[in-house]
Amino acid sequence: MVQIKKRKIPDAEIPTSSMADISFLLLLFFLVSTVIDVDTGIGLVLPEYIPPAQQQFVPISKDRLAALLINENGDVLLNNEVISIPQISKTLQPRIESKIDQPANKKLVVSVKTDRKTSYNLFIQALDQVKQAYFNVRNEYSLQHWGKRLVDLDERSGEMKELKEKIPITISIAEPESVKK
Amino acid sequence: MKFEKKRANTKQSIPTASLPDIVFMLLLFFMVTTTLREVDVLVQFRLPEAKAIEKIENKRLVSYIWVGRDGRIQVNDSIVKLNDIEKIMYSKRVALPNVIVSLRIDKGSEMGIVTDIQQELRKASCLRINYSTLLKL
Repeated sequence: MVQIKKRKIPDAEIPTSSMADISFLLLLFFLVSTVIDVDTGIGLVLPEYIPPAQQQFVPISKDRLAALLINENGDVLLNNEVISIPQISKTLQPRIESKIDQPANKKLVVSVKTDRKTSYNLFIQALDQVKQAYFNVRNEYSLQHWGKRLVDLDERSGEMKELKEKIPITISIAEPESVKK
Repeated sequence: MKFEKKRANTKQSIPTASLPDIVFMLLLFFMVTTTLREVDVLVQFRLPEAKAIEKIENKRLVSYIWVGRDGRIQVNDSIVKLNDIEKIMYSKRVALPNVIVSLRIDKGSEMGIVTDIQQELRKASCLRINYSTLLKL
């Protein structure tokens, strides 16, 4: 009698030794393709849009206003005085400091105005200087009162809140005027 | 007296059985954190540099507008006209009320186009903006 041999079933196993290699490969791909770049820049809040017909002229007293004018040649005018861009922050700092203890409606307002032909780079440099002036003042205030640097303060802490109240950053982008032809 | 080499009785091999698990965990982490939907930037631009810059903490809120050195404006995946910005940005704002618009503008641009875009954004009431800059060292 012919013996019917039962076919031996081979071990059903998935070879897993190369799994680590495969997953390493995938891991490498994701490591390389991941971009963990944080967006950096100068933040600003624009004013609400009001149609020209409804615009009202709100007078701001001279000692509150720091008018910054940048023309197309790169000349900077701060309150009708010609200065260079790196000087802006030094010039603004004492004015911001003098207003720390004033109520909110007496704080300094920095108004930035440019020509249409002004280079964007110059505008950013000027804005950077203004921001730096504010940051320096905040930093000093923070060091004086809490002995902490500005960068060490927590964004949600009460100290930061007080800073924002005492030294608010008010930068106003001037309403564009219609181009005269 | 017979000298015997002092040798620990343990096996001299690193257990690699859990290696795939560990690697998979890392893999999953990177898969989750990767944002693959990178928009093709169609315009050429170089960002300006500044010192007093802030980080945008929440990347999900950010929406970009590019302006190339040739003055073309890109929103999302396509080049748009200046007049279209208001409509596009308004729909973005409706979907995401506290959207931050990051302006990636070439440093050689003129302020005219920047002002125009800002006016469009104001009309669309996207008021939180960010001039994207690099850190000046």
